[in-house]
Amino acid sequence: MNTVSTVKRYEVAGMKCYVCAKAGKDTEAVGICIVCGMGLCMEHAIREDTQVWEGGYPFPATKTKGKIPRILCEECRTALKR
Amino acid sequence: MVTLVKRAVAECIGTLFLVYFGAGAAVITLMIASGEKTSTPFNVGIGALGGLGDWIAIGLAFGITIAAVIYGLGRVSGAHINPAVSIALWATKRFPTGDMVYYVFAQIIGASLGSLLFAASVGMDAVTIGGLGATTPFPGISYLQAIGVEFIGTFLLMTAIMGAAVDRNATPGFAGIVIGLTVAGIITTLGNISGASLNPARTFGPYLGDLLLGGSNLWGFFPIYVIGPVLGAVCAALFYDWVSKEE
Repeated sequence: MNTVSTVKRYEVAGMKCYVCAKAGKDTEAVGICIVCGMGLCMEHAIREDTQVWEGGYPFPATKTKGKIPRILCEECRTALKR
Repeated sequence: MVTLVKRAVAECIGTLFLVYFGAGAAVITLMIASGEKTSTPFNVGIGALGGLGDWIAIGLAFGITIAAVIYGLGRVSGAHINPAVSIALWATKRFPTGDMVYYVFAQIIGASLGSLLFAASVGMDAVTIGGLGATTPFPGISYLQAIGVEFIGTFLLMTAIMGAAVDRNATPGFAGIVIGLTVAGIITTLGNISGASLNPARTFGPYLGDLLLGGSNLWGFFPIYVIGPVLGAVCAALFYDWVSKEE
């Protein structure tokens, strides 16, 4: 298995990195920000353990016991940390 | 999860709104219709203005308030705002005993404050003409019939809660509007039979307000609005668990 085919396997079919596209570059996306849905390349995707709330009516919402890994873009990551 | 005290406060405020706006709508209807001649003894004033439309209006006042409380406070406390719902979730082992007891007390306090606040907002006519929106069986309806009607109404309400909110496969985000409209529909049909309380706290508040402010003493009817709703909600929760369980 060569490097190119390995990368291809993780590309999001047909989607480009939004951040790169804005800078005039054409880079394949390897992930999608779970908050805003932005396509992200390996350079701009941030995989981070995030605190998640679950539940709701008719039960109080609760934090999950552990943090859950999430793919985020820089903007959403910053917003979640506020 | 926020502390139990905060959740109890949320239940208290939610039930206060339910009684203020829901039972308040019944009071206002009776006050507007005051002095109107009614065509039948079965019509005590609600229905004098627009027939069943009066009950639709009251039902929607309840339903929209319930939807607002569910969307506003649902993630904080669960927005039960009804002891029958808290007891049914407890009976099916979905809700801890200690929390249930706190919730029921908070709901009763909230309903009482809602009634007193409405009387303070409107004046003594709310008590003497509107009876603070207290529920009683209508003329010709027996004690047992009223219990049965409250049972059936709350059974439908709790079934909607189970299917639209408790079930893990329920579509998120719709529970508030579905449950609000369910209550509005139930009140439209059952309002002129038993009062369509579906909620022991919703009846407790106006009963206490009437007693404290010199209105009618209606406590003899109170068991109707405990037995019917609590049994109806518990049976609906058990029924839903049985009927939805995959073999």
